[in-house]
Amino acid sequence: MGVLRIERSSLRHWATRPMGAAWRAFDWQLTIYALLLASIGLAMAYSNSDDTVLQGGSTFLRGLMWAGIAIVVFTAAAVFDYKWLKTLAWPIYFTNLGLLAVTLAIGKGVGGASRWVSVGGIQFQFSELAKILMIVVLANYLSRRERKLDSLTSILGACLLVAPAAVLVLMQPDLGTSLVFGAILAGMLFMSGASLKWLGIMAGAVVAAVPIVWTHVLRDYQKQRLLSFLDPTADPQGSGYQLLQSQAAVSSGGLLGKGLANGSQAQADLLPVQSTDFVFAILAQELGFVGGLVVFALFVALLWRVMTSAWRSRDSFGLMMGAGIASMILFQLVVNVGMVLGIMPITGIPLPFVTHGGASLVSLALGLGLLQSINIHQSRAEW
Amino acid sequence: MIGPLEERVAAQRRPSRFVAFGVAVLLGVTVLTGRLAYMQLVNGGQYTQRLDPNRVVAEAVPSTRGIIYDRSGRLLVTNVPSFAVKIRPGDLPVSQRAAVVTRLSALLGMSATDVNTAIDANPGSRFDLVRIANDVPEPTARLISEESADLPGVQVIVESHREYPAGPLFSQILGYTGPVSPDQIKDLSKKGYLPDDWIGKTGVELSYESYLRGTYGVQNVERDPSGRQITVRATVADPEAGASLHLTIDSREQKLAQQAIQWGIDTAHLESGVLIVMNPQTGEVLAMVSLPTYDNNLFATGISNTDYQALLKESGRPLVNHAIGDQYPPGSTYKLVTGTGGLGDGKLTEHSTIVTRAYLSIGPFRYYDWNHAGWGPLDIKTGFGHSSDTFFYQVAGMLGIDRLAYWARQYGFGSPTGIDLPGEAAGIVPTNQWKEDTFGVPFYPGETYQAGIGQGYDSTTPLQLINAYAALANGGKLYRPQVVREVIGPDGNVVRAFKPMLLNTLDVSADALRIMREAARTVVTIRHTYNLVDLPIKVAGKSGTAEFGTRDAQGRLPFHSWFVGFTPRDPVNGSFDDTDSQLVVLAFANNSRTMGNAATEIVKYYMQLHYGIEKDYRLPELLRRGNFYGD
Repeated sequence: MGVLRIERSSLRHWATRPMGAAWRAFDWQLTIYALLLASIGLAMAYSNSDDTVLQGGSTFLRGLMWAGIAIVVFTAAAVFDYKWLKTLAWPIYFTNLGLLAVTLAIGKGVGGASRWVSVGGIQFQFSELAKILMIVVLANYLSRRERKLDSLTSILGACLLVAPAAVLVLMQPDLGTSLVFGAILAGMLFMSGASLKWLGIMAGAVVAAVPIVWTHVLRDYQKQRLLSFLDPTADPQGSGYQLLQSQAAVSSGGLLGKGLANGSQAQADLLPVQSTDFVFAILAQELGFVGGLVVFALFVALLWRVMTSAWRSRDSFGLMMGAGIASMILFQLVVNVGMVLGIMPITGIPLPFVTHGGASLVSLALGLGLLQSINIHQSRAEW
Repeated sequence: MIGPLEERVAAQRRPSRFVAFGVAVLLGVTVLTGRLAYMQLVNGGQYTQRLDPNRVVAEAVPSTRGIIYDRSGRLLVTNVPSFAVKIRPGDLPVSQRAAVVTRLSALLGMSATDVNTAIDANPGSRFDLVRIANDVPEPTARLISEESADLPGVQVIVESHREYPAGPLFSQILGYTGPVSPDQIKDLSKKGYLPDDWIGKTGVELSYESYLRGTYGVQNVERDPSGRQITVRATVADPEAGASLHLTIDSREQKLAQQAIQWGIDTAHLESGVLIVMNPQTGEVLAMVSLPTYDNNLFATGISNTDYQALLKESGRPLVNHAIGDQYPPGSTYKLVTGTGGLGDGKLTEHSTIVTRAYLSIGPFRYYDWNHAGWGPLDIKTGFGHSSDTFFYQVAGMLGIDRLAYWARQYGFGSPTGIDLPGEAAGIVPTNQWKEDTFGVPFYPGETYQAGIGQGYDSTTPLQLINAYAALANGGKLYRPQVVREVIGPDGNVVRAFKPMLLNTLDVSADALRIMREAARTVVTIRHTYNLVDLPIKVAGKSGTAEFGTRDAQGRLPFHSWFVGFTPRDPVNGSFDDTDSQLVVLAFANNSRTMGNAATEIVKYYMQLHYGIEKDYRLPELLRRGNFYGD
């Protein structure tokens, strides 16, 4: 190999790097797919608002604003040298826990929950950001332990890292997001090359713990939500109501849909959370099966590009980041759309890019931006 | 050792895992696609049928709350219809909320913040109705109904609220109802209570809540998307009206009792006072007045915070039923316990005497009699009649504190009587063990003396005290006091009949109690109670002047005044050897500090009113400020 030279990444260094190599390493496809999905989300917001859609404060305009912020965050993250994250890992971790604790303390939400914090009239859901920050911290941890991944201690260490954040989120209470943390942990552990034997045993332990969690941890309305997805007709006016209405909306879409802004459910304002978690139902109703297929295809393509970045990464940090982000997006896609289609229980998980929500979009932009940062800053051998 | 970069990184990348992940992605998406295809291409019809925007909701139908009557069947509470405005948040679209809140706040005269707070207050489902305003005037209610097309999710509900015609006269006994509190609703929802339901909060409204409420019915109602009712589809279960209560309380006696105690409070400028009338043969409470009191109609439609705070801060604490909720030193009235104990344990007989002097000494301490002179040799009747402290110091000394406590508990002191009203205090009967547990030291002999005359740690509620004298009057049976005589179901059948509840039979001979009754008569005939003996009816009883609190600049303690009295069944010709008394009365004057015993005058006044005695024997000069024992 020759002499090993450790170069610190510095601003001067970066400024003198040949630009051409950087732009070639920048993954354009990833960006395009993400932008397309976000545009679909904005189109849904636009078409399903009433006449006030272009007035200040409308869902659509706020969505535009968040999209703008997300693009800025994305670019900044891509330009930023991701290797700083390795040094900043612990401060990031504790900032993460701090933000979640603050949300518990002063947050507001529906029905007494503490989900989002209002800053000057704008609401921000910190748990969305927490997911990305957790991925960064876990990626750093797992990449540091790359030689010891066969041992149980590495796996337990990862679980211990994630546990406080997941618990803080569960206390809000936000069962859905804490499950996403679980999915991220599982996906990253799997992709890190950790011993399959240990992973299998832990999975078995989780399954065994389900009855205990059911009795002691879940609240009544959470249990009811989970149960009602199994039979929404049991309580058609309460917890089953959203499910039945969303399924009705979806199936009325047919092959080509009723056209944008023509959703009957939307106009009757019957889906109580129509501008957020159930947006896929409106999409399926208005754009039909074809529209649904397009969305699925875009997600598959996006995930493919994320995994490609992971594959190509020269260090395991990049691999882990990619795995974490892909796991998160895949899990949320399957659970959210599954919920709308009636094959998954109702949870408060947003559909990435499409669901209107500033924190979700910005956090995804941050995550994808960091992936781009990994692509760019590895375009030449560092050592 | 660190190996080559590429090899090391290559070792991380396990292609099999990437493949597995890819498979997972494709699997997930395929399942979703398949399900989507099934719903949209194959089964379009099945789901669109459920697109009917109207829905059928199962709703509760409130039952009529039970009515409360006095002893003679007079109505003490009625149910009056009123309008309430409620919102179902799930029917109120987010985009229209601001407009609806503005309109509602204008119509109801509430601030928009209050309306919003009310909407978000419910911790349960978004499809629960949330109460916004109570007792809305009818024109406003009609206006809101008419505008219902512009007010999605808003409903006007016809309810009933309680009206108490006599207001403050019965408020301590009846209590009032109020909204269910959030921590109660968790347990109560299993019994059919709704989140915005009303429930008894105090008085018999609380203690008989399950009888009064009845059972709610269930109806299936069809509603349109904004929550407006279209039709009633079916009645699944009819509501069952609540049962009615017939109280032991007699309205006439209650009014007379209030008149008597009010006179006492006004003349002696008392902070608070209590008057209780009972039938000693059964434990029925004929009257119970605690002043100052409050108008429970204030609570019937939801009391404002300002009014509630004012009631809380008022001196005399009108929201507390002082007859059962507060405990005080009994003073000389407690000598009933000491005397009975002396007879029961054989320390005294009917004619044995004890010498009484100005004081007794224990070491450097002197325990004075109230007249600072004593009376020479006294027997139980004259000792009780003069209320000689040194007599009863000595009897208490002979018994010892633990034996004194035994006799106190025989009379029911130291535990709640179990009356069917909430908020009863237990009182204190001190023993050696109690003092060890509470202060870490045993009882001192001087404290035993004090306990024997009802001072020191002794503490009782007015109800416990009258109940003890009731047991004396009826020959030794301690009954549980009751305010509700019968519970009658909505169909007229008796749900719960009246039965006297025996708590204890006094562990002493009937003769001993006869002696104590004659001793109580001696209190009156010996003129310790001034001209009470001059009334055309025979009264026996005991007065008490109970010191409490801290000494003033001249070293004097403030004091309460007590009097408990009873009459034989034939008040003119009857005898206290018999146990047939039908009437026992207690008055308590809080912090009276009057020249004479204010409570005696109050009971005297009540007796005059009750028996229709025309001549007025009251001595109002006794109710002037001063020191009962002379300066």
